[in-house]
Amino acid sequence: MEVKVEGGDEFANTSYGKICQDTFRDLGVRTSIDHTYIYIDPKEPVFLISVKIGRVASPIKVRDVTQPEIDKLKITDEKFAPKLLAVLWDKYGERVHQIGRLEIGLKLDEGEAEALKDLIVYDPREDLIPRILDGIDRVLPEGARVRYPLPSPRRITIIASENPIGEEWKKKAEEIVRVLGDDV
Amino acid sequence: MMFEGGVYKFSDLRELIEDIGGFIVQELVMQTDTILHMAFPEEEEREIRNKVKELGGKLIDLPLAGTEIMVVTPSLGKHHAVNPLCDIGEYLRRKGAITNMMGLARGVGKRIAQITAQEKMIMEECDAVVFVFGNLKECIEEKMRICDVIEVPYLIVGGPPDLELEHYLGGIGRRTDRMRRKEEFDTLEAMASKLGEILDEKRKEVEEDPLAASPLFIKELIELVMPPKAGEELPIIIHLDGLRVNIDEDEVARIRDIEVGTKKLSEICKIKKSLYRGYLLKILPEAVTGSVF
Repeated sequence: MEVKVEGGDEFANTSYGKICQDTFRDLGVRTSIDHTYIYIDPKEPVFLISVKIGRVASPIKVRDVTQPEIDKLKITDEKFAPKLLAVLWDKYGERVHQIGRLEIGLKLDEGEAEALKDLIVYDPREDLIPRILDGIDRVLPEGARVRYPLPSPRRITIIASENPIGEEWKKKAEEIVRVLGDDV
Repeated sequence: MMFEGGVYKFSDLRELIEDIGGFIVQELVMQTDTILHMAFPEEEEREIRNKVKELGGKLIDLPLAGTEIMVVTPSLGKHHAVNPLCDIGEYLRRKGAITNMMGLARGVGKRIAQITAQEKMIMEECDAVVFVFGNLKECIEEKMRICDVIEVPYLIVGGPPDLELEHYLGGIGRRTDRMRRKEEFDTLEAMASKLGEILDEKRKEVEEDPLAASPLFIKELIELVMPPKAGEELPIIIHLDGLRVNIDEDEVARIRDIEVGTKKLSEICKIKKSLYRGYLLKILPEAVTGSVF
């Protein structure tokens, strides 16, 4: 993810760049974002953040997080255990039971056991937007509670301020997004 | 001074401190580790050092001992809290201060930032306040005005390193990670020493108009009447000109009647309920109360 910060003094630009990188990394969306542009105007104060969504990781299937054994599944990535169990219980009901922390017992026939491997446990697309929005919320200063979103395809842009956002700023933001759209 | 060492013959050190007329400010025993904050006459330092050497411990200087400091952020949200707040709090505690943390109700923003009257009163219960602000120069300059109302010494810390403001120190602003590099420790050290200077000024003011009795002496007297309960943390906190005593309402009468020399505690102290925790005892100057002996 590339981050560009403009508008503030040198220190503000550098520190907001770092805050943005760290926040998106913490939320695990850094690889799904192509480019982030932040414009700071502390005098007004108005802040603009524009995130261009890039390639999203492919869905995680049962075969990616488990190792099949006879009438059993061994969980290899515990992070996905709750989601995996929920998916299996939803699909097979009482025929699935949890033996231990990393073991799931199955009472399935051969065909079902094969189909099970391709079940989707978690699709990063599902909650990508809420996670990016959460990241944006953490990056923007807390005092800037008045928000104005600018809709555009594959891009999330938000203007934030503590004062009402005027038409002038909306136009300026649209212009910034238009230029960004051409560039990156 | 702080003693850091094991429990071996630890009670000998305590006895020595009492014998030479010193005080124990705070005592923490964690399994086999012992931390003891103490105050003793300067001329007895050699004797204490010898004893500490004998016990195989360390003696560390505590410039902020005997003070309670409030670390204040604009909010307790993830923008301001956790990283800088904990680093500052921890560093001040290492220097001997007792720290409290506080997030303002409406402290965020530039124009909209404010401190409520109750928050101001809570802050003024402490000896000093450290405001932790963000990384934008313009916002810090604007927020200076809300700090001006505070009547206790204060220090403002923020991100921009080159801001020429009174009571300001740069280099500690909004962060997403801990301060663990050498230059960051240097910044924290600079903050602690600047705070030490501010508190020294207040100490001098108190010395010019001496108190009726030392807060450390009153602490000992209170502990004689009301021994600290097992497991209770910091039942009595020392301030530069008083104490914070964590007691219930029904115990206040007992405190009032404690004899300090020829006078009662209620005659030499202003006792009021704290808005934050326990009761505050503000010791009056000797010039007002007359000698207690």
